[in-house]
Amino acid sequence: MKLSRKQWSYFILAGLAGAVIAFAPLPVRVAPPTQRIFRVEASQFAYSPAVLTVDPGDTVTIELVSMDVVHGLYVDSYGVSVTADPGQTARLTFTADRSGSFRFRCNVTCGALHPFMIGKLRVGPNTLLWRAIGLTVLAALTAIILFPRLSNVEAA
Amino acid sequence: MKRSEILSRLLVIAGVLIMLSVPLAVHFYNGQNIVEIHGRVAESGGWSPSSIEAKVGVPLHLHLTSDDVMHSFAIGQSDMAPVDVAPGKMTELTLTFDKPGTYMYYCTRWCGPNHWRMRGTIEVSGGSSDAPQLVSPPLYMTLNLNIDAPHPAPVTPADRPSALRGAAFAAMLSSNYLMPDYYRTHSPAQSYLNLRADSALSSLSDPNVWDLVAYIWQSNTTPDGLAKGQRLFAQNCAACHGELGEGNGVFAAGVKAQTGKLPANFADPASMLGASPALLQGKILRGGMGTGMPYWGPIFSDETIWGIIGYLYTFKFGEGQR
Amino acid sequence: MRSELTRFPFVKSLLKNRWLQLPVSFVMLAGFLFAILSGFAGTPIGNHNFSIVFVWIAWWAILILVAVPFFGRGWCAVCPIPLPGEWLQRGAILEPPSRKPRWLNLRWPNKLRNIWLQNLTFTLVALFSSVILTTPKVTAIILSAMLFLAVGMSIVFERRTFCRYLCPVGGFIGLYAQAAPIELRVKDKQACAACKDKPCYNGSQVGYGCPWDVFPGGLTKNTYCGLCMECLRTCPYDNIAINTRPFAADLVKPSRKMDEAFKAFIMLGAAMVYAGVLLGPWGALKSAAYSVGTVAWFGYGMAFLAFIFGLLPALFWLAVKLGQELSKSDVPARHGFAAFAKALVPLGLMFWVAFSLSFVLTNASYILVALSDPFGWGWNLFGTAAVTWQPYLTTALVPLQTLVLIGGLLWSVCTAQKIGTEVKILPVPIVVFSTLVTLAMLGLLL
Repeated sequence: MKLSRKQWSYFILAGLAGAVIAFAPLPVRVAPPTQRIFRVEASQFAYSPAVLTVDPGDTVTIELVSMDVVHGLYVDSYGVSVTADPGQTARLTFTADRSGSFRFRCNVTCGALHPFMIGKLRVGPNTLLWRAIGLTVLAALTAIILFPRLSNVEAA
Repeated sequence: MKRSEILSRLLVIAGVLIMLSVPLAVHFYNGQNIVEIHGRVAESGGWSPSSIEAKVGVPLHLHLTSDDVMHSFAIGQSDMAPVDVAPGKMTELTLTFDKPGTYMYYCTRWCGPNHWRMRGTIEVSGGSSDAPQLVSPPLYMTLNLNIDAPHPAPVTPADRPSALRGAAFAAMLSSNYLMPDYYRTHSPAQSYLNLRADSALSSLSDPNVWDLVAYIWQSNTTPDGLAKGQRLFAQNCAACHGELGEGNGVFAAGVKAQTGKLPANFADPASMLGASPALLQGKILRGGMGTGMPYWGPIFSDETIWGIIGYLYTFKFGEGQR
Repeated sequence: MRSELTRFPFVKSLLKNRWLQLPVSFVMLAGFLFAILSGFAGTPIGNHNFSIVFVWIAWWAILILVAVPFFGRGWCAVCPIPLPGEWLQRGAILEPPSRKPRWLNLRWPNKLRNIWLQNLTFTLVALFSSVILTTPKVTAIILSAMLFLAVGMSIVFERRTFCRYLCPVGGFIGLYAQAAPIELRVKDKQACAACKDKPCYNGSQVGYGCPWDVFPGGLTKNTYCGLCMECLRTCPYDNIAINTRPFAADLVKPSRKMDEAFKAFIMLGAAMVYAGVLLGPWGALKSAAYSVGTVAWFGYGMAFLAFIFGLLPALFWLAVKLGQELSKSDVPARHGFAAFAKALVPLGLMFWVAFSLSFVLTNASYILVALSDPFGWGWNLFGTAAVTWQPYLTTALVPLQTLVLIGGLLWSVCTAQKIGTEVKILPVPIVVFSTLVTLAMLGLLL
């Protein structure tokens, strides 16, 4: 691919910026780990509340209350899970040592929409999403700047 | 027509026929001498089939599967451990009956507000014809108790009574108060009034008399019985009555919407202390009359029910196991 | 950059050999019929039924992650749906054609010679997808309906009219095939001009005329060629070639086709809606999508249709118009609209890849179970019936999806840039549109 010097320097700059966005460690607000307890009601086919927010390092206890049939709660990536029968609150305790956004889902078949019974656990800021957004915007900008023909057509 | 054409036509037709018929044939063949029971929530029909026939001494092979949510299978009045009936999976169970009669099978994992209606019967025939057992009517009938009438306690204790404190005065109690017959036929409030009127106990303060009542109640239970009662309460009653017996279980709102009344609150001394064990037994045995309370007669043995009743009083009364 | 695969005699003979192609099709047909059987006769629990697991998890994964991005319409080459109808139509499974036309052999009406009907069928499937994806009986009904339709249409019309004009899957496979790195083309157009009988289209003693109603000599893009290899067999001048080529070679060819443009919007929008409804934490949305016939579902349906047929195309139109104004182009915006819509092809494809990765990796463990116990009857054919459910590769999923989506965006931007040069409209607003929807998709998936 024949690129002018200017384009090469943009390319390298973009590459460096991309590496920074993708891998640079972000300042982590170190809050003292707290005990958090959430009462989560599970019914066909949603959790309430469906989004749980904690800080990294917190000890999280989820009290799963089934409102109609036997439901489970499995946290992606952590791999921990618990099952609750209606009338018997089940407790799941774990340490939120991984940061990011994780889906939790039902792991006891509870009806038709069972595979889509999903909630979200947010541990700290969703850094992966922010990095992805940064990379996306960078990619679009780089493409606009780098490809000369984009600006050739009498740009404003 | 070329040979290859004939061959490929045969292949297609034979292949399709084999592929469609073999699984069905295998399933049919495997299903000989097996009763396949499908579990569905009561609103969708409950157990299917809901009545089965069997013979004494002949093993009954059951294949159980659920067509919607998690269920489980147990036989009433037996100590068979319940087996899970999972959606999309097949559970195999073989039952052999020693005595003829009607056995009830039921679901033991809550699958909706009508979970308790998920019941079926196994008619077991054959065996030697014993002399038919005389069944005595339950206590509330012999006592002519109206178990549907409200039962407010005429008196209630100021504080929570303690069976441990009551034990200190046990020596002053005449033995008839400790008989199971007395316990079963009197409500705690009635016992208090009887004890209060007893001259042998006139030196005791009111709270102490209540403690003695708590002591009487506790002496009619065993630790094992209470533990079993707690377990059965959690599995069978808490969904409506609440995990702390306060009448606020996950299905309570639905019960109120359907029947106009919430499930009973065992933590309310005003009503609980006015109920005798016989009355509670009647409610548990007979159930409903439009209140949404299931009837547990075919499911739990008398001993089990007394154990549950003993546990029910511990929510606001006596030295509980919790 | 193009490399002819069929220059290797081994490859050519493999592709021409009916005895190799047919067994693969037989296996697919057997699997297809088995899926219908298990859907009707097996357990109503979707994740333990062969029909749901093997159609919407296994087959879908292979289709969207491998077949379409790398082989374009490769699935169409082995799809079982047209086979029974085609055998009836031809009066034979293997034998070359006799001269007598069988059945009605009607020509497909001119007004319907576009993909609007396929846009409709796909949209219908998408509206009912929550029910279809989770209910074995409904999947079986859909599969049976497709089979009956295909057979019926083969009896009434010529060639593979179901595949070409009705199949909901074919609609998007054809669109996305433009991005694939393989193609079927003629080697020398002069040879075609000189050829009198055109057996590639009309058939000959050794093979059938193109079932896809395509004249190979005029093929300039992958959209409508089903890679069935008939023309490879019939061309007397050995003029047909299968080539590898750079990804997305078809996308820069100018297009005026509105039906294909809207297909791009339907697919882009559907991917975003699926990501939100199926993978999001909003239970009310899922219930609305599932409870067919209720007011809530009707509202959901209306919103869905408004999004894919209204909002997305309207925003895109604004972007095209803006680009036209900024570049003081006198090309009508309508031409720019259809042309630039092609830039959404790689974007939409990557959206579907990213969405499907999550769905497939989460549920792939069911494939092992369904293999051993396809009906949920307690069988254990391969010993894997008791495998517990477990999502796979959860830690790699987010980086993978990010790479896929950003890759799709870059690809789309490149395409938009090339199209912009062709139609002389500034593509920057289109780039902004693509970036915004990519950000939305990232937010929904991550």
